[in-house]
Amino acid sequence: MMDERFDLVYRLLDDQIVDVDGRRCGRVDDVELLGGPGGPLEIGGLLTGRGAYADRMPKRLRGLARRLFGADVRGATVRRVPWAEVENLGARVQLRGRAADLGLAHDDLELKAPFKKLPGG
Amino acid sequence: MKAILQIALGIIAAIGGFVDIGDLVFNAQAGAEFGYELMWAVPIGVVGIGLYAEMCGRVAAVTGRPVFDVIRMRLGLVSGLVVLVASLIVNLLTVAAEIGGVALILQLFFDAPFTLFALLGALGLVGIIWFTPFEGIERLFGYGGLALFVFVAAALQAGPDWHAVASGLVPQAKSSTLYWYFVVGLIAAALMPYEVYFYSSGAVEERWGPKDLRVNRLNAVIGYGIGGLLSLGIMVAAAQIFEPAGISPDHLGTVPLLAQVPFAETGLILALLGMLFAIGGAAVDASFAGAYSIAQFAGWEWGKYRRAAGAPRFVLCWLLFFALGLAVLMTGIDPLDLTEYSVVLSVVALPLTYLPVLLIARDRTFMGEHSNGPVTRVLGWVYFAVLVIVALVAIPLLLATNAGGG
Repeated sequence: MMDERFDLVYRLLDDQIVDVDGRRCGRVDDVELLGGPGGPLEIGGLLTGRGAYADRMPKRLRGLARRLFGADVRGATVRRVPWAEVENLGARVQLRGRAADLGLAHDDLELKAPFKKLPGG
Repeated sequence: MKAILQIALGIIAAIGGFVDIGDLVFNAQAGAEFGYELMWAVPIGVVGIGLYAEMCGRVAAVTGRPVFDVIRMRLGLVSGLVVLVASLIVNLLTVAAEIGGVALILQLFFDAPFTLFALLGALGLVGIIWFTPFEGIERLFGYGGLALFVFVAAALQAGPDWHAVASGLVPQAKSSTLYWYFVVGLIAAALMPYEVYFYSSGAVEERWGPKDLRVNRLNAVIGYGIGGLLSLGIMVAAAQIFEPAGISPDHLGTVPLLAQVPFAETGLILALLGMLFAIGGAAVDASFAGAYSIAQFAGWEWGKYRRAAGAPRFVLCWLLFFALGLAVLMTGIDPLDLTEYSVVLSVVALPLTYLPVLLIARDRTFMGEHSNGPVTRVLGWVYFAVLVIVALVAIPLLLATNAGGG
């Protein structure tokens, strides 16, 4: 599946997430780490969605970024993918399940309807 | 045999897809203004775009990552966002300039207002994209663009001064700022980054794998090489026909005269059709490049291989580029001015998108045995230096020459 060691920022952060059907469903916009000082640290899950952008900006730009991309609202502007749902980190961050089941295809599903009615859509 | 034919068809499409309004304007003006003297700048640009496209295509084939996927990975969110915004602005100007070019050419065929043709042109292109599969789009505009070979024929027909051609291919230093403005413009016009965003995303659309690396190399060398020949053809024809007569191609409609002078009406029509396809195709490529960039940066589903309903945000993005491009044109800005700004500004942003691609193309973690070889490694860094220099001098030269206006 993958090497025992891997660089979190080099290999995981900002990478493309793909579901079991090969559908692109967001990027790793943040990583949730669990554990306190002195104890082992483990990955809780991946966070994806524009709501995660603001907290990664330089301090001065965070306010502006929140207005542009939205604040961090779990389940709406940021979705969490449990680490157990990640199949492997080969060419992409490959998930075990389908985007729709993990709540990752929300925006596309909402926008899909009008296009379906068009010829050739 | 079928495989060879496929490869040949792909390369032919690459040749036709190389020239856009920026190349037409800068090459014709360079020939009119400086004769053969600026020919050397074209190969510099062509080798650059070939190198850049080869790396992008190779990365896409081996890792499945097109350009903005790589940018987001290597530069991260914050720097990546800066590069994204810069590219989107340039992309928008390019889309507007190309739609303007299509409208100007349609105006030469029929008598009606510019804004009407801009609207019709944009709608026509949207319709073609909507109903044509990816490969069809690439080939339609690529093959149509081959009519531009009439300019090469025109250049040869007039019997160029081969001695001047040979010395024009040797770089010379001059004290004229206008001369250097054109050097930058010619290199920039050949290296328009939307071409590689489109090319690398296209490689993913067509599901390239390591087996397609040969096609990728052939596209880069033969496709762009012959594309460069088209550019030189325009410049040499302009050097023979415009320069002695003191004609300055300030209007896009002046450029086809290069084919009309030697070949009469047939030449004129071929030139106009070639330009229409080449510029129309560039409008499509540039709007797609913008949509690819946003979708790849944000991680959305994208691609023409999906139905519109399968990648709705991607479709909205390219539609938006056409709409905003039209809006820019409606401000009344001259499409040729727009072209010069889009070409010069694109080269300013170029090192930012070139570097991440160079870094990943040499990275064995991602590329394995297909990482940059010794030649590409050296050439890759040499071009990075060239691009940084060109990017630094581009805006000062634009201002000093009043966008080539003297």
